Amino acid sequence: MTTAVTAPVRPRLPAAARRYWPLAAALVLLPLGLLLAGRGSWPASLQVDLSGPLGSASDWIVDNRDSHPLFLYFLGHVSNAVVLSVRGVYLVLLAAGWAGVTAAAGLVAWRLAGPRLAATAVASFAVCGLLGMWVPTMQTLALMVVAVAASVALGAVLGLAAGLSDRTYRALRPVLDTMQVLPAFAYLLPVVLIFGIGVPAAVLATVVYAAPPMARLTALGLRAADPGVLEASASLGATGRQRLLTARIPLARRELLLGVNQSIMMALSMAVIASVIGAGGLGDRVYQALASVDVGAALAAGIPIVLLAVVLDRTATGARSHGTPGRTWAACAAAVLALAVAGRLTGALTWPEAWHVDIAEPVNRAVDWMTAHLYSGVPVVGGTADWAAHFTGWVLDPVRDGLQALPWWALLVVVGALALHVGTWRTALTAVSAMAAIGVLGVWDASLDTLSQVLAAVAVTLVLGFGIAVGAARSSRLERLLRPVLDVFQTMPQFVYLIPVVALFGVGRAPAVAAAVVYALPAVVRITTQGLRGVDPVALESARSLGATGWQQLRQVQFPLARPALLLAVNQAVVLVLAVVIIGGLVGGGALGYDVVFGLAQGDLATGLVAGAAIVCLGLMLDRVTQPTGKEA
Amino acid sequence: MRTRTTAGAAGALALLTALTGCGAADMTKQASPYAAAEGARTVTLSVQSWVGAQANVAVAKYLLEHELGYRVDTVQVDEIPAWDALSQGRVDALLEDWGHPEQEQRYITEKKTIARGGNLGVTGHIGWFVPTYFAEKHPDVTDWKNLDKYADQLRTAESGGKGQLLDGSPSYITNDKALVKNLDLDYKVVFAGSEAAQITQIKQFAKEKKPFLTYWYKPQWLFEKVPMTEVKLPPYKEGCDADPEKVACAYPHTPLQKFLNADFAKKGGKAAAFLKNFRWTTEAQNDVALMIAEQKLTPEAAAEKWVEANEATWRKWLP
Amino acid sequence: MSTTPVTKDATNGGPADDGPATGTTAAGTTAAAGSGAAGPDGTGPGTPRPVFSVEGLWKVFGPKADRVPGSELAELPAAELRERTGCTAAVRDVSFDVRKGEVFVVMGLSGSGKSTLVRCLTRLIEPTSGTVAIDGEDILAMDKSRLRELRRHRAAMVFQHFGLLPHRTVLDNVAYGLEIQGMGRAERRAKAAEIVTKVGLEGMEDRRPSQLSGGQQQRVGLARALAVDPEVLLFDEPFSALDPLIRRDMQEEVVRLHREEGCTMVFITHDLSEALRLGDRIALMRDGRIVQLGTPEEIVGSPADDYVRDFVRDVPREQVITVRSAMRPPCAGEADSGPAVAPGATVSEAIEAVARTGGPVRVVDAGRCVGVVDHEGLLSVVAGVPLGKAAA
Repeated sequence: MTTAVTAPVRPRLPAAARRYWPLAAALVLLPLGLLLAGRGSWPASLQVDLSGPLGSASDWIVDNRDSHPLFLYFLGHVSNAVVLSVRGVYLVLLAAGWAGVTAAAGLVAWRLAGPRLAATAVASFAVCGLLGMWVPTMQTLALMVVAVAASVALGAVLGLAAGLSDRTYRALRPVLDTMQVLPAFAYLLPVVLIFGIGVPAAVLATVVYAAPPMARLTALGLRAADPGVLEASASLGATGRQRLLTARIPLARRELLLGVNQSIMMALSMAVIASVIGAGGLGDRVYQALASVDVGAALAAGIPIVLLAVVLDRTATGARSHGTPGRTWAACAAAVLALAVAGRLTGALTWPEAWHVDIAEPVNRAVDWMTAHLYSGVPVVGGTADWAAHFTGWVLDPVRDGLQALPWWALLVVVGALALHVGTWRTALTAVSAMAAIGVLGVWDASLDTLSQVLAAVAVTLVLGFGIAVGAARSSRLERLLRPVLDVFQTMPQFVYLIPVVALFGVGRAPAVAAAVVYALPAVVRITTQGLRGVDPVALESARSLGATGWQQLRQVQFPLARPALLLAVNQAVVLVLAVVIIGGLVGGGALGYDVVFGLAQGDLATGLVAGAAIVCLGLMLDRVTQPTGKEA
Repeated sequence: MRTRTTAGAAGALALLTALTGCGAADMTKQASPYAAAEGARTVTLSVQSWVGAQANVAVAKYLLEHELGYRVDTVQVDEIPAWDALSQGRVDALLEDWGHPEQEQRYITEKKTIARGGNLGVTGHIGWFVPTYFAEKHPDVTDWKNLDKYADQLRTAESGGKGQLLDGSPSYITNDKALVKNLDLDYKVVFAGSEAAQITQIKQFAKEKKPFLTYWYKPQWLFEKVPMTEVKLPPYKEGCDADPEKVACAYPHTPLQKFLNADFAKKGGKAAAFLKNFRWTTEAQNDVALMIAEQKLTPEAAAEKWVEANEATWRKWLP
Repeated sequence: MSTTPVTKDATNGGPADDGPATGTTAAGTTAAAGSGAAGPDGTGPGTPRPVFSVEGLWKVFGPKADRVPGSELAELPAAELRERTGCTAAVRDVSFDVRKGEVFVVMGLSGSGKSTLVRCLTRLIEPTSGTVAIDGEDILAMDKSRLRELRRHRAAMVFQHFGLLPHRTVLDNVAYGLEIQGMGRAERRAKAAEIVTKVGLEGMEDRRPSQLSGGQQQRVGLARALAVDPEVLLFDEPFSALDPLIRRDMQEEVVRLHREEGCTMVFITHDLSEALRLGDRIALMRDGRIVQLGTPEEIVGSPADDYVRDFVRDVPREQVITVRSAMRPPCAGEADSGPAVAPGATVSEAIEAVARTGGPVRVVDAGRCVGVVDHEGLLSVVAGVPLGKAAA
């Protein structure tokens, strides 16, 4: 009997062995290494201290910024162009007044995406006014317009180059892939180093952050163009330019629109984060509200950000396939102009103060109530403070200490084995070099501290996310209820939930993990729900017809079939959690996040840049070991 | 076609150059794009992240707008980046500085892009504090020599086996790590990462009447909400904090300074003169700070309230 | 339905058949000798100058492809060539002429190189070596603008997967070629509207390709090619993606267009019955080479080798082969009276006549009796048995 059972398994063994040998090898090597070499952090002899050169580079830039030709004749013009264009847009928005801007938004949304979105747009701008955030909203909008235009233009040019030339594509793709993984904060320091605090730095950081998705999608769209259509075009004697304009670009329309949409969303999130380097606008209001520990005020500035995101996102994705005739646009422009003039004549350029609604106080009261009742002394389950203490003591500390106790080379072996397990030897090489770079930079221990937080946050996110997603995949009503909540959490600037998180979990690594979970959860829930829903209904039906229980269906059909989506969710969780590491630094997460914040605050670019680079390396490493490429693709 | 593209690019570049003004462009002389909108004369003030600094700016802004007819923009920047911004003219004035000798040397003495704006009138002091309710129960905690006795009570999940010394925003001046090491204390410095987080944590401790030890500074409105008593460190002597690695003494008392962009100081007219004259007291700043932080008034409303009650004080500042 | 051959070549039998290829099986024995074997490139004497003239054409894909033609590598079988050089020869030493006004069919299974071959004609794929000329002008020597001129005005192509622009309406798709030529909007739309009517799509001008059936989409593709008034129409398996009934319709459409417009066509297909139905002459390709070139009757009646024989085994021979191949010299008295058929008539037509009369039928060409067909002769064609053996 036993032989009969084991017999069919045997032929599969070699395959399984092939698949798992890197892990097995690591498991054998580890104890061996521990015995031979003992424990240890990255050896000092293998470190390169960059603080000296980076410090002097930073000093050189500050000293030469007003005299060196590179700054005077190139960077100065770049900076000047940014200032002028942001100012131009800002003045136009102010001149149009709230009536004009709201009308323009409504009409554009109507023409592009229909009456429902027009109503949403008008309501959103009205809410921005009601909350007393009209001027900051216009500042953010002006910055956004310039940044998005620049990133779309830059992305489109890069995308065109990569879409038309194979060599450019091969050179550009790894760069773009990597840039998508990097946390937004990582872009701030180098830009500040060159341009100093202010709007130009903020716009340029935003452009650098938001252009890659446009470039990627443009290239993808151009490359995915139906070769049959292109050949037909060539067979009719089209020149290269004719082919590009009449066939390639129109065929890539869907990807181009998606690219614009992505650029907008990323620019918006960056425009908020860039308040740390003086971008002004809504992000600055959120940041200022934090200083007085005022969640309500932070929320009042956060809501317009969410609304802007929703309106811009829906308008860009809702853009219909055929254009509106020029006459209609002219009529719209005339209507906007009339409203703007009317607004001007009545003297109401900015939103009238009498119409402001103060939400700060009730919100603060609610937050106080919540923290007062949840922080400690809750019967049976204990308060959130106890949870945080237990989480720190039982999860974060052991993981961190365990990682730091491992010899450095053992960790490299583990990383390499994991990467080899999911990808190719190139994946493994990238992951191991990224990890080694961290050691060379001399922030090994801090990085492992951050890594432990990231791992814990990813684990919590996945457990919660998969649980919620299973529920949402089962019940459409739950999914409908969740959707707006997820929208809000995904676009709400992370600054806003800093204070509630500290109020609930105290200062330390636990709130940092909580902030990361809150930020990463929506994407995980979304991807997983979609994956579970996308499972072939026939497979499910056949399982049901065999009498499978709900749990059996989930375990044996839905999870295995949704595997690609689940893997993607894991990857996204890692990338997003890492993006919040620096926010974690603001609530006591310490380690790399704190170093970056410290670098920004103290103008100590050596510390900040090194920590930022280490975060980037961690991101690369984690992305590679969670992204099943190569072998399975 | 290639030549046409090149020509196009060259044309665009030429246009860009023409638009941005021919020749050299000094980015350190470029103002904020939001400045001076609507044709008003504008002053841009830097606000640091603590509420005391917000109070200065709120009152200055209110008076500049209502008494002198300026439009005021504020930018939230941390201290050291604010020096850079001030030097570049992106910010016109910095109203509260806790002493950055290195920056003074670079920007005032060498580059001459920043000018002194005189005393703010407030004296700042940094120190270690325990809540008064704890100090009353254990009076000897206020001497650093006895701190180790209480390390057990001050332990948290973050500080491991040691007592927790709560530090705040990374932008603040701190010698705490060196102090703990050099005074050989059984404590671990835990960085809250931002003042907001630190205050929230302190209030949470206070609500439960738990003991804590924190880095804090005066003047600060939080003292009105959570009374705290300073722990005496070895006394400050001139130069005892010269080497940041070897510091083993208390923090000094610092008269807080104002700084103006050099150009603005010369050509800023009434606004510059007003900001130079601006000088108030620790108590006055605290009043406004408390209105903002605890009564949750907007900075404008708080400033308005203070201005109505203290006309005698601010009349003297107007040029 | 039958068409009159447009060419004046005497050896050309018109493709005259009807109905799908059904039933009849014929053993793969040596076929009866067809009328006069054509030369290797199928050209006979006294032909007007060809539209396309292809000489020793090679297309080799892979690294350093140009060393293959003309060297000893050229003779290697595909697998060995690939192993030794990493190259694949898609077209090997192909020569043929396409005469003015004819439908020239290139037929072969997938991978035989026929689609590559047709793309070499307008250098959509750059040939490796050989010559291709249109109206005596060397295409391979053309510069970019001359080549564009060729593609814009002289040769238009219809593709298997249509290659329509999904974001444009039917009318704008049809006008696309004219737009590329630089014609003004109003003018090209007027012209396109005319063509749309010609291919039977009137009323659908404003639809988008995604709203059309496959057959309708291919009509758009056809209209787009017709709109530029080309000298030659190139078809690359245009109907392979269509349902059988639609395919029939479209084939008839092509026959009709050919009759009405009289333009030259090069038609690629893997479907033998389509080739037999449309082709004036057929080039049968295998592994990049032309294994036989001739009229449908020659291909079916006298296959050049076993491969071709195998290929045409299931063809209803009586519908392809003419009585010319089945007749014998008349015996005394037979030449003068009795029912008559033309020498171009198919065997199946003759069978009908023989069955009706019950006796032999005369084959009359221009009033002169050139021979007689009887039961035996016709049956031997149907059975695929050589005439002499059946008679003996």
